[in-house]
Amino acid sequence: MLYTKSAAELSAMLKKGECSSVELTKSVFDRIAETESKVDAYVTLCEESAMAKAAEVDAKRARGEELSPLAGIPIAVKDNICTKGVLTTCSSKMLYNFKPPYDATVVEKLNKCDFVMPGKVNMDEFAMGSSCENSAIKPTHNPRDLSRVPGGSSGGSAAAVVSGEAIMALGSDTGGSIRQPASYCGLVGLKPTYGSVSRYGLIAFASSLDQIGPMTRTVEDAAMLYSAICGGDERDATSAMRDYPDFVAELGKGVKGLRIGIPKEYFGPGVTEEVKNSVMAAVEALKAEGAIVKEISLPSTDAALNAYYIISSAEAASNLARFDGVKYGYRAENIEGLIDLYEKSRSEGFGDEVKRRIMLGTFVLSSGFSDAYYKRAKVLQMRIRQEFEDAFADCDVIATPTSPFTAFKLGENVDDPLKMYAADICTITVNIASLPAISIPCGNGVDGMPIGLQLIGPRFSESTLFNVADHYEKLAGGFNKLPEIG
Amino acid sequence: MKIDINHIAKLARLKMDEQQAEKFASQMEGIIEMVANLPEIEGVATGLDTSNPMRLREDVAVPSSAKRSEILENAPQVEAGCVVVPRIVE
Repeated sequence: MLYTKSAAELSAMLKKGECSSVELTKSVFDRIAETESKVDAYVTLCEESAMAKAAEVDAKRARGEELSPLAGIPIAVKDNICTKGVLTTCSSKMLYNFKPPYDATVVEKLNKCDFVMPGKVNMDEFAMGSSCENSAIKPTHNPRDLSRVPGGSSGGSAAAVVSGEAIMALGSDTGGSIRQPASYCGLVGLKPTYGSVSRYGLIAFASSLDQIGPMTRTVEDAAMLYSAICGGDERDATSAMRDYPDFVAELGKGVKGLRIGIPKEYFGPGVTEEVKNSVMAAVEALKAEGAIVKEISLPSTDAALNAYYIISSAEAASNLARFDGVKYGYRAENIEGLIDLYEKSRSEGFGDEVKRRIMLGTFVLSSGFSDAYYKRAKVLQMRIRQEFEDAFADCDVIATPTSPFTAFKLGENVDDPLKMYAADICTITVNIASLPAISIPCGNGVDGMPIGLQLIGPRFSESTLFNVADHYEKLAGGFNKLPEIG
Repeated sequence: MKIDINHIAKLARLKMDEQQAEKFASQMEGIIEMVANLPEIEGVATGLDTSNPMRLREDVAVPSSAKRSEILENAPQVEAGCVVVPRIVE
């Protein structure tokens, strides 16, 4: 089955002529036909254009053209990333009919690599959520256990990749939205350093925290996809202008002498014993390979969650003010005047979670409260950044759980926003501090669901993260294992 | 802390009936109680990344790849190449 292979394996096969992109794309769509009714990963399928693109890539290859390693590989795209002429809904009623007139920079870059886009994948509405249950379109199911959530907000991306309905996917991460679903589905997910991937064409949730990143079945695939999407962009003022290596070529350096920091605050009472044990077992395995393990402290971790919800909601309230029913997206009917048009369109177009975040953001920025909430949160953010900087004087990477527990059942937490928010504790600090972090599988819980190990590095240390993650993957005997879907 | 949910909703240009307002008010109070727990620390947040400063663009128009017609295709109501909105001046 072609869809079961990694992108790196498929890339080599395509190059040697052992399979064609048409065959590969067909294999992915056959898999979609088989499993999508159970998984519900996609919100829009693009079979016709994908097959046409695959044929075009095969023709280019037949002419002997020099092609990118990603040429002809099916990569699903999260539905908050703009794709010219293809529905981009953010899984919201607000954008139910939105066809962007332009491509996001990451899509433009992947187009230059001749990627094949099988379709757009489901997410929590406007990326607000950790289970994909906040999608206004449908919930997505975890392919490893259909009664459980795939995580979120990039739940569709994760479910598509682990079911074989795509070879790789793009997700976006504001507080854990790539890493947590990667952890819940047993995948590799990288949240890159803030500024290393252009946000142009990513529909904004919290602009100072959002980053697009790869979700894949192997570390090498993540390095391959990240190499293709990173880089400076004139159209994103927060984009870092610097040179990046080929991250695949940087792999294989081993972990001898690597200093791994273990922050005790990430192993608190909210984290289940099985998660702690699996993460520490992975750290021990790296230690046996020559890594040095040290205990460190990041004292502001607990309060970070509060700062995160204040800052991200404040930015969301501003960013989502643009959805007013005037120029694009949903417009309510039977309106009386312009204000009524705004209020009705927004009230009917947004789901409850989005409304909660908009109202929280509006509250923390409102007159009389912004000093007590927003300004204090921003000061705390500076302190958290400093704590990480100090910690990285003593270690090269920090190892933590990605999520305090494994994937929960659909519907289990849906009415308890506070419980859902608290579960983001291990991932949000990374966004607050603009750092890169990768989640990789490190065993399973008693429920058979995957556990994720998060490796955090200093800014622009993706090369180190990939190297350590890849080394662990080899020790663990490879990550690319697709489940039976039943 | 009690919050005035109707005032917040008005600022956010959201509308809700009484039952929804009650549910949101109680959820929002719980959320605000949680996030209010911030340590007392002194300092000024600059938020600037000095190693990768933001670049301001020159104030010159750059041609867009999107055509006017493509942009208007997304508008809920269009007449004579313009977006239609309710009357705002009596």
